[in-house]
Amino acid sequence: MNTLLLRLGLTAGLLLAGAARTTAADAKILVAMLPKSKGNAYHMSCVAGAQRAARDLGVDFIFDGPTDSNAAKQNEIVENWITLGVDVIAVAVENSEGLSTALRKARQRGIPVVTYDADAQTDARSFFVNQATPVGIAHALMDEAARLLGGEGEFAIILATLTAANQREWQKEIEARWKEKYPKMKLVAVRPCDDLKDKAQSEATALMSAHPQLGLIMAICSPAVPGAAEAVKQAGKVGRVKVIGLGLPSENRRYIKEGVTNTVILWKTEDLGYLTVEAAVALVKGTLKPGATSFSSRTLGTFKIEGDNILLGKPFAFNQGNIDQFNF
Amino acid sequence: MNRYFREFSVAGALAVLLVALAIFAPGFYQPQPLLSLATREAPTLVVAGGMALVIICRQIDISVGSLFSVCSVGAGLLAARHWPLALVLPAAVGLGATLGAVNGLLVAGLRLPSIVVTLAMMVTLRQGLNLVRQGRFVDLPEGLQWFGLSQPAGQWLLVLAALALLTALAWGMRHLAVGRFVYAIGSDAEAARLAGLRPRWGTFLVFVLLGALTGLAALMNVVQSPQVQPLSGSGLELKVIAAVVVGGVAISGGRGNLWGAFAGLLLLACIAPALTHLRVEAYWEKAIQGAIILLAVVADGIRSRRPAR
Amino acid sequence: MTVSSPLGHTSSRDWKALLRCHEMLLLYVLVAEWLFFYFAGTSTNRRGVLIGFGTLDRQFDVLRHSCEIGLLALALTPVILTGGIDLSVGSLLGLCAIVFGKLWHDGGLPIPLAATLTLALGAAAGGLNATLISALRLPPLIVTLGTYSLFRGLAEAITHGSVTYTNFPAGFLALGQERWLGLPAQAWLFAAVALCLWALVHRTTFGRSFRAIGFSPEGARYAGLPVGRNLALVYVIAGAIAALAALIYTARLGQAKADAGTGYELFAITAVVLGGTSIFGGTGSIPGTLLGVAAIAVLKNGLACLPVVMRLNAAEEMSGLLTGALLLLALAGSVMSRMVSQRHPRRRPRASRPSPHLPA
Repeated sequence: MNTLLLRLGLTAGLLLAGAARTTAADAKILVAMLPKSKGNAYHMSCVAGAQRAARDLGVDFIFDGPTDSNAAKQNEIVENWITLGVDVIAVAVENSEGLSTALRKARQRGIPVVTYDADAQTDARSFFVNQATPVGIAHALMDEAARLLGGEGEFAIILATLTAANQREWQKEIEARWKEKYPKMKLVAVRPCDDLKDKAQSEATALMSAHPQLGLIMAICSPAVPGAAEAVKQAGKVGRVKVIGLGLPSENRRYIKEGVTNTVILWKTEDLGYLTVEAAVALVKGTLKPGATSFSSRTLGTFKIEGDNILLGKPFAFNQGNIDQFNF
Repeated sequence: MNRYFREFSVAGALAVLLVALAIFAPGFYQPQPLLSLATREAPTLVVAGGMALVIICRQIDISVGSLFSVCSVGAGLLAARHWPLALVLPAAVGLGATLGAVNGLLVAGLRLPSIVVTLAMMVTLRQGLNLVRQGRFVDLPEGLQWFGLSQPAGQWLLVLAALALLTALAWGMRHLAVGRFVYAIGSDAEAARLAGLRPRWGTFLVFVLLGALTGLAALMNVVQSPQVQPLSGSGLELKVIAAVVVGGVAISGGRGNLWGAFAGLLLLACIAPALTHLRVEAYWEKAIQGAIILLAVVADGIRSRRPAR
Repeated sequence: MTVSSPLGHTSSRDWKALLRCHEMLLLYVLVAEWLFFYFAGTSTNRRGVLIGFGTLDRQFDVLRHSCEIGLLALALTPVILTGGIDLSVGSLLGLCAIVFGKLWHDGGLPIPLAATLTLALGAAAGGLNATLISALRLPPLIVTLGTYSLFRGLAEAITHGSVTYTNFPAGFLALGQERWLGLPAQAWLFAAVALCLWALVHRTTFGRSFRAIGFSPEGARYAGLPVGRNLALVYVIAGAIAALAALIYTARLGQAKADAGTGYELFAITAVVLGGTSIFGGTGSIPGTLLGVAAIAVLKNGLACLPVVMRLNAAEEMSGLLTGALLLLALAGSVMSRMVSQRHPRRRPRASRPSPHLPA
């Protein structure tokens, strides 16, 4: 009975395997992209742009990413791709020091690495496609907050989690800008929302009742912006408590049109994905070398390279005036 | 008094917290934020009611979070296709009940351990939802929020509906034979069987009920805002189980009541806003939550170590 | 849970047969999976290099990636054997990782001393669980649910959520990243722990008591076993192993952060149950757990190599779905086999005394 099972299993396995075996040596370049999370609409829209670029350039494209909060997942995925022999890896880095270990290994094996959205350590990748520097993002947010509040008033920050590296970096830069330029404003609280819109809504409600003088909520993770906006709307404080943040136009369109959310700052996420794949393919083909000062995209124009940062440009502010032009 | 010691001690802890807030942060007691807090927690209360029943039956269900997400997205997608609310409601409840029935079949029918079955269910549902939805929000049609009523009316409706449901469940547990049945299964399933009851059938129904309540709670959550986030049930199972257990429902089954679960939920739900009002840093939240759970359980243990009279 | 038959008393041979059966089936599944992924997931890329599941690197990666979860699964096996559970091992991993980082970075202690203190912390935290569960007789599920939040909360509070410890010396990082005598370094450590635990659980009287306690705590107490002490010790051991897993994790990633180990406990429990250990306690084995860990690790890694899955960009979701399905199948399978054997009781030599249910 046991040997019969064993024989059956082996036969089935071999049959299935034979049917699924790949044909040898695909001639196309294989680009592998690793967003920070697959469940996040922002990251998925970057991936959408990347997929478009892959189609335009005629390369093969795969992506994978953590779906839960497992911090080591990105490392494991990169190491998987090393043994899969992908041609280039493009990654939005969650844990900079941790992932750099795996990325350096990939580079040692001859797989070039490009980072986007959030950077690794400099020796772990060839280029960083930077949508906007953390400093740029933080300044855009803080300046907008100051503009809306007239330079004085209380504001609070809602972020995703206390452990997310780029969130904390933005927070640090926001605080630095606040202390440097807007001494009359006051940051009263920083609360996490675990990337959940509903939790952000609860946090915003509590913030408004705990700080009656609160003038503005700055939501720096994308689900938090509609959450905070809904809280302001339900509290009946539209206009008295302003809402700004980093988020997708599609998630905030309603609130921007109703005037609940004043400004949403982002960059063209699909362009970021598109440019990343273009840079990645250029790296493999050798048309993009270290030391280059500019990079020409097929459709997006020419981009400046500062050091090893390919700059997408400045953050873009979506507001009532221009929200209808974008649908991502 | 002794019989309801746990429920009273949770209520006592809640009272202490509320008094501390009244003294140090009176800003907590404003009508609109409190109503918003209550409305936010109403779906959780509904799920907690169902979970209390499951735990009293000596089972557990850690898939409620994923179930909630699936039902939220399902209800949202149906509503986005302009189904009337009168149809979306039974659809959401039905979906929840069906998934709960799967759990129930595996646990009661095949006699598999509930923690492992619901663990597998949780992973399967969550990954399946990710595969389908990939994190995209579901946009809801205009008239759906607050059932189409005004915001205060909608909020009161949700809060009162949750309380009514809880009262009905509590009353049923105490006064209906079916309620006693649940306690009996939880205390000693074999004795219940010998007494002529059908524990496996009862266990199955309890899982179906929890699933249905979760579907209802998902809909109650969906009508509170104009978009549905697929991640929305994340962490619900931990919250609900902690609330129920802190409220005095024994994990070994057969003991506890729904009002205790209510008090436990209030206590745990007030921690986050209390921290904001008391100007305590956010990173203490998990540690405090864990400490409360442990204190509640230790209180259980110390009380039961006192020599029985 | 007794497989009783009206024809005679249950013999321990039935138990062993059942157990062997489950583990052998799991072994077949593991071998079948491995072969399937080997043939379906290996090919050559456009540069002519062998890639995919069949490469030695990938096999080593499977080993390396599953070491921490494997250690947690090993740690949980004695706990679950005694009929308990420990949901806090993942959070304890996170707490130990950052304490280790803090001791080394802020405290300036040398790595070996920091590591030893971290192991001691792990044992002490396990001791907290042990005291509450064993001395106060509280239900393990809820106690460890509380410590699950408490340990993670302490990790976040100590680091304010954001502090990360990095730049560990290369000698320490070699533990997680380099190879030693041909195999990844942490694999040796894992093998050592597995061997010790196997000896503990299967060859010592201390280990035997686990299954007795899980099967019937009262019976074990009446039999004279030190139930309280043994129960306490399993949680302490689990804590210490979680601390060791934290050290390996930190070495592998090169960084210690408060969110380390999130979600690991559920994987570990899945592996343990898959391996044939009953969640109610009383039955189970260390080799079963090892097979369970291997089956899940091969499944996860193998799926990521299949071209079909790669095209769908759904490696993570597929592995989650299939792991859930595999778990349910394994459970259902063990229940079915029990039901089958109850319906067709095997012929057994008649017991020396007549069964009380049959007329003499």
